[in-house]
Amino acid sequence: MKTTRRTIMTTGLAAAATVAGPGILRAQTRPPAARTIRAVPHGDIPTYDPIWTTANMSAYHGAMVYDTLFGIDANLAPQPQMVSGFGVSEDKLTWTFELRDGLRWSDGSAVTSADAVPSIRRWAVRSGSGQLLLPRIRDVSAKDDKTFIIALKEPFPLLLDMLASSTTPLCFIMRKREAETDPMQKIDQVVGSGPFILNAGETKAGNQYVYDKNPNYVPRGEPPSGIAGGKVVKVDRVIFQNMPDSQTAVAALQAGEIDFYEIPPIDLLDQLQGDPNITVENLFELGAEGYIGLNWLHPPFDNQKLRQALLYIVKQEDMLRPTFVDPKWYRTCGSWFACGSPIENDANTAWFKGGQDLAKARALMKEGGYDGRPVVMLQATNIPYMMNAATVMAQQMRSAGFNVQLAPMDWANVVQRRSSKAPPDQGGWNIFFTSSGGLAMSNPYMIGGMATIGDKGWFGWPTDERNEQLRDQWLKAETLEQRKVVAAQIQDNAWNIVPHMYYGQWVQPTAHRKNVTGWLHVPEVIPFWNVVKT
Amino acid sequence: MIGTIVRRLLSMLPVMGVVAVCVFLLLHLAPGDPAAIIAGENVSPENIARIRAQLGLDQPVWRQFLVWVGSLLTGDLGQSMFWGDSVTSLIGQRAEPTISLAFTTVMVAVFLAIGLGVLAAACAGTLVDRLVMGFAVMGFSVPVFVVGYLLIFVFAINLKWLPVQGYTPISEGVAPWLRNLVLPSIALGMAYVALIARITRTTMLDVLAEDYMRTAKAKGVAMRPMLFRHALKNAAVPIATVVGNGVALLIGGVVITETVFNIPGVGRLVVDAIARRDYPIIQGVIMVFSGVYVLVNLLVDLSYTFLDPRIRD
Repeated sequence: MKTTRRTIMTTGLAAAATVAGPGILRAQTRPPAARTIRAVPHGDIPTYDPIWTTANMSAYHGAMVYDTLFGIDANLAPQPQMVSGFGVSEDKLTWTFELRDGLRWSDGSAVTSADAVPSIRRWAVRSGSGQLLLPRIRDVSAKDDKTFIIALKEPFPLLLDMLASSTTPLCFIMRKREAETDPMQKIDQVVGSGPFILNAGETKAGNQYVYDKNPNYVPRGEPPSGIAGGKVVKVDRVIFQNMPDSQTAVAALQAGEIDFYEIPPIDLLDQLQGDPNITVENLFELGAEGYIGLNWLHPPFDNQKLRQALLYIVKQEDMLRPTFVDPKWYRTCGSWFACGSPIENDANTAWFKGGQDLAKARALMKEGGYDGRPVVMLQATNIPYMMNAATVMAQQMRSAGFNVQLAPMDWANVVQRRSSKAPPDQGGWNIFFTSSGGLAMSNPYMIGGMATIGDKGWFGWPTDERNEQLRDQWLKAETLEQRKVVAAQIQDNAWNIVPHMYYGQWVQPTAHRKNVTGWLHVPEVIPFWNVVKT
Repeated sequence: MIGTIVRRLLSMLPVMGVVAVCVFLLLHLAPGDPAAIIAGENVSPENIARIRAQLGLDQPVWRQFLVWVGSLLTGDLGQSMFWGDSVTSLIGQRAEPTISLAFTTVMVAVFLAIGLGVLAAACAGTLVDRLVMGFAVMGFSVPVFVVGYLLIFVFAINLKWLPVQGYTPISEGVAPWLRNLVLPSIALGMAYVALIARITRTTMLDVLAEDYMRTAKAKGVAMRPMLFRHALKNAAVPIATVVGNGVALLIGGVVITETVFNIPGVGRLVVDAIARRDYPIIQGVIMVFSGVYVLVNLLVDLSYTFLDPRIRD
């Protein structure tokens, strides 16, 4: 065949069309930018199984594609979500639930009780609160396609609160096929009945996660409140973009390339607040609380007097200000439970009200027989609020006479080392820093750190029988008033034994374009239903 | 020639073997626990231990190494501990943005740098020479991320000429593809331009001092053909060597540039993997980067025979 200029051009154009074709077709089927929200959440999704992990980003994914039986409203009260009706027997041992009409999986099949039952069981194995519920359950069974029963061995007043909670892992309902997966294994398919569907074709793990509006989803009729009420989706698509560089994310928000940024750095807030196209908004008033883990297994903090000494040393204000700068973003808190929560109280908080008292701390150190041994403090240098808190607390402790050795490392290293029960000078530790959501800190059972069950407990491994008895009383309390009384007793005991401490509470404001409105205030999860882009 | 290429390719094997051992040991001896990161924050130590066992991280390091090398020999780079996707497919998904960025950077940098280097050599000792060399020193000294943020501030936020971040595949059009690559290529190319411009100038000055160049000048050969047709050809071998060696610089820069400009390439993949200790991804990407580096240097060596007939002979 003779090669001419025309054949070369024709071949070239054909090749270009072949290469560009799929991309052009994909681009044509994409919803317009005005119907798409580009959001940069706080991190990447580590796994698509929101039951298997407690990672918040997996819960964000879960809230998009799955639904829950109940959801907490803006007042943190449980409200029915997938459930149309429910009731409890007179002896309070048998709960009956009925699924509402119109619930469908994204593959088109109907949601039935046969899906809900194994979903509850799998969640209960993985969830901290579910594990409290599990030994109290006699049976979970389907009565018919729409009705299922939870039979209890003893009354459990917090059942609905646990099913509704937005603390990870949330009790997401999955198809029977996925829900029957071994709770220790991850699910292998994402088929939900939630307001969005994961668009696997356009999703690129680690880079962007694309969620399209679920056409089969039937929202409730009530107005949205918290994670409860009608989940009405008002856009066609939401894209979670993984953008680890905060400076780039802020610039992208200012340039209008993204619509929402969950964690703008506090030191760049002024820049964002000065931009007429951007709104800085706090979506959850309880925010987060800084947690100081103390190792009870090794000296010096195996000694109660030395743990008490820390109460008089730690000055939360100094630990928070370097990071959060403006007091409107942080607060000091002497309560064992999150400040602003219904059970915040001031039992046994004289140490907090009196402020830092190094003389008292030194007296307690002497009483406790502190011998000058090094205190190994793990410092996560890649998380600014933890790094700053550790730097300041180390200096505060040195001022009182503790011999503190900071061990700087990245967070991945901290989570490995804090699991070590070895002595601090042999790869162990004395103090580490972390944080937890304000909702989880609003009760004594949601996070492992609230338990004092020794070896089997969370990192630090405190042991205290009275705390466990009081936690049990809490679970049995039927009203908020009763819970408040028990909460004060738990706190009174906690600030005597000091299982762990706090370095204050803060809120992380979000930033979004002004033309994107309708954000719901929900703890631990960012909902994308009800959000409108104009 | 073919014998030489085969020998060089075979000599890559021990190099890649050493890389494999070093990468594996460095990663596994460094602290950090992927199981604890996957599990999330409020998880019991028992659950973390179960995840560790599922991932095979409770096995002795030598056994983990043998399993990995066994897979490697069959061309399997393993699976991501987080998403479960094969590392090969993840690298495949991310290859286009990285190759695009590297390609545009090398193109811009080589043409710009050679032009600047020749100009500086031709104007040696003058203000032009000093300006070019000053620019080279600056390009080499200012970190990629500083250049990147400055470019974003000026051209994306203030002037709004170009996007802040992201990547558009070439299949969606050459113009949008280029629009996303302009700023990253400039940021990444600065150090590369500086490196090549400096070596071009030095080599050109050496060549320009040769007798045959003086003869050419005496015979009345014009400046442009003398520089580009006679001098630059003879200066090509050292320049090609630096271009090849600079690939290592480019790979390091790609990792940072992709993070600053949010380009979903292989560099971003490895940065994210390092933060959460996704060992198979880190190991796989480093093996691929090392292979690319060795191959590029092989190609550079082979290019000598084309650039300089004396070597061919």
